[in-house]
Amino acid sequence: SAAAGLERPQVVSHVQQALSYTVFDCKWVPRSARLLCLGSAARGTGLVQLYELHGARLELLREIEKPKPIKCGTFGATSLQHRYLATGDFDGNLNIWNLEAPEIPVYSVKGHKEIINSIDGVGGLGIGEGAPEIVTGSRDGTVKVWDPRQNDTPVANMEPVQGESKRDCWTVAFGNAYNQEERVVCAGYDNGDIKLFDLKTMSLRWETNIKNGVCSVEFDRKDINMNKLVATSLEGKFHVFDMRTQHPTKGFASVSEKAQKSTIWQVRHLPQNRDIFMTSGGSGSLHLWKYEYPALRSKKDSEGSEMGVAGSVCLLQNVTLSTQPISSLDWSPDKKGLCVCGAFDQTVRILIVTKLNKI
Amino acid sequence: MPVWLREHSWRQTLTAVYLSLPLRGARATAADIFCSERYLKVSVPPFLFEAILYAAIDDTNSTAKIGNGNIFFTLCKKEPAMWDSLTLGNAGKEKLQYLRENAVLKAQEKAKEETEAKKLAKQEHKKYALEATMKLEEAERKRIEDLKEKEREKVTKELELWKNQQKDAYKYKSVPKKGESHQETEPLKERKTKKPTKTRIPDEGTSKIRLKSTKGCHGSCSIFSPNLKAEQLPAPRAAATIRVNFTPRVFPTALRESRVAEEEEWLHKQAEAQRIINSDLSELEDLKEEEKNPDWLKDKGNRMFAMGNYLGAVNAYNLAVRLNDKLPLLYLNRAACHLKLRNLHKAIEDSSKALELLTPPVPDNENARVKGHVRRGTAFCQLELYAEGLQDYEAALKIDPKNKNIEKDAEKIRHLIQEPMQSS
Repeated sequence: SAAAGLERPQVVSHVQQALSYTVFDCKWVPRSARLLCLGSAARGTGLVQLYELHGARLELLREIEKPKPIKCGTFGATSLQHRYLATGDFDGNLNIWNLEAPEIPVYSVKGHKEIINSIDGVGGLGIGEGAPEIVTGSRDGTVKVWDPRQNDTPVANMEPVQGESKRDCWTVAFGNAYNQEERVVCAGYDNGDIKLFDLKTMSLRWETNIKNGVCSVEFDRKDINMNKLVATSLEGKFHVFDMRTQHPTKGFASVSEKAQKSTIWQVRHLPQNRDIFMTSGGSGSLHLWKYEYPALRSKKDSEGSEMGVAGSVCLLQNVTLSTQPISSLDWSPDKKGLCVCGAFDQTVRILIVTKLNKI
Repeated sequence: MPVWLREHSWRQTLTAVYLSLPLRGARATAADIFCSERYLKVSVPPFLFEAILYAAIDDTNSTAKIGNGNIFFTLCKKEPAMWDSLTLGNAGKEKLQYLRENAVLKAQEKAKEETEAKKLAKQEHKKYALEATMKLEEAERKRIEDLKEKEREKVTKELELWKNQQKDAYKYKSVPKKGESHQETEPLKERKTKKPTKTRIPDEGTSKIRLKSTKGCHGSCSIFSPNLKAEQLPAPRAAATIRVNFTPRVFPTALRESRVAEEEEWLHKQAEAQRIINSDLSELEDLKEEEKNPDWLKDKGNRMFAMGNYLGAVNAYNLAVRLNDKLPLLYLNRAACHLKLRNLHKAIEDSSKALELLTPPVPDNENARVKGHVRRGTAFCQLELYAEGLQDYEAALKIDPKNKNIEKDAEKIRHLIQEPMQSS
């Protein structure tokens, strides 16, 4: 049985790097063996560090300090030529940086009144079609979509109704960007709300509540007709929604799994296989999952409306790397199985997941 | 009384003594043989045989065979010598006794030793078995570790390779033009040399060359130059706002932080309280419709309190309580009236009743509980029961630590308590 265990994907820890600051997000620089760590230094400033993978160690190439701590970043809306980094900081500022000349941002706006918890980009890196756009979700309860070609005002603003008490938005994700017009934004809030906004019709397309605060949402692929959405929450639960069939009242079908007792901080799908994803937990563990589709993805209900059928999730591997939560996770888009994760023990780890070809 | 068995026959060699004891009809299976170095006793009820041996024997190696109506002993002598007789004759009674006891003691010691030896042997075996299993498990673990290591190394090598590929692609991107021209010049030279011999091939050759150069650059250049795409990008979206509502909850705390069970209980209680109507009052028929509503009466009471008509307010609350005795606010407000009217005992009663009804303690009824404690505390202090009053004030502070008035009053009470002690 131990031998059979070895046939499953293994999570191999390749490099560990201790940092002298709190790291909130880590991202691979596309088309390279370089990665970025974003975070907050002890003296309350923001840090961006650029590392390169050299054999069994990370070499620090560049360190950029900014006045406010940085919470999140994305390369999603930039071209491969430029590879500009978009960041959200603790003060609500959205900035886009040219890492070759980081003194002055290429784009800057004070987008929110409070910390930007989450950021996502679409339309860049030669993936998908349509305008490059960035979405930010903040503790001020709003979700805003920005176009780097338009200064100061967002192209879409999802805000609470007048008089409604706000809820923190903890996570945002783009999806359904399969042609130039279509695009959706999914947002998760601290009271368990998940809302799906359709940017083509500028309306709320679907909402639900999963009872526990939503820490992370991600579509399995941004640039296809929306297929699956994973939402993770506090109390160790995550839900996988089948987004292909929307029922008029019941919404989307889902399957949920309780992975562990602690918060699931992040979910990230493998860029090379959209049915495999990894979740990172508050107990310092990583779980690798595979989604299995049901025999029929949709069926008719008693009134004849189509409703989706959720499949099942199976655990491929799990490993505990740290005692502190692993708050950020990113797969390399260029090398299958290579990923970086950052934890609150001020360490960033490069991992290699093996045997993903055999799944 | 056993019967001594006197008949026995024996013979000896230099090293052994052979003793034969006939069992006259006695059951051989019941034979109990006790033997030590110098002493031999056989008890076959009802017969008893005892012998103080002439010389010492090795009792561990000696044997006794029971069967065929007799017991046959093979006793190995400790020292090879011929014995004059089987037993030691002329032995005095005391000597016999002494030898007997000695024999018994020795036998016991021996038994002890044997058990000790057995125990040790068992432990040794256990240890050995444990070590053996541990070794096996170690080996298994090592094997798995080795497999994992090998995998790691393989993967690391692949990673290095990929990285170098990336590096090369990067370098190649920055010098595409040079490469292109280089590729073109060489085959051109070839073409020139080939010209005299073959005329058609050069044309194919050139077209091939062109294909080659574009192909060579295709792998890296195309992904680095999405400039063509830039022209096709749509204009920025027309700005719009989507207004959202959030899922309401009576208590705005996340599921994990809320004390759902208690809060549900409180809500339930409130709902129940609203529905109670004490209908067994005959005077009810005289009342107007609105006077039968406890809430309306409560509001009336509040208004009268505000105007200073404390007796009137008390009456209103009294009637309300008769209609519905489960509303904590009625008692709370009546307590305030009694305080003003200096009906201190009644104030205490009402505040206590209110606090009783305000369980379970949840954030929703915090304000009410603070008021209850403060009013009761005030009443106690006015009755000069300062210790009890302080208790209530401190309870109030616990619920609402930021209230400066309560803090000041609590301090005053503390001083009051300390002063009389100082003066006396």
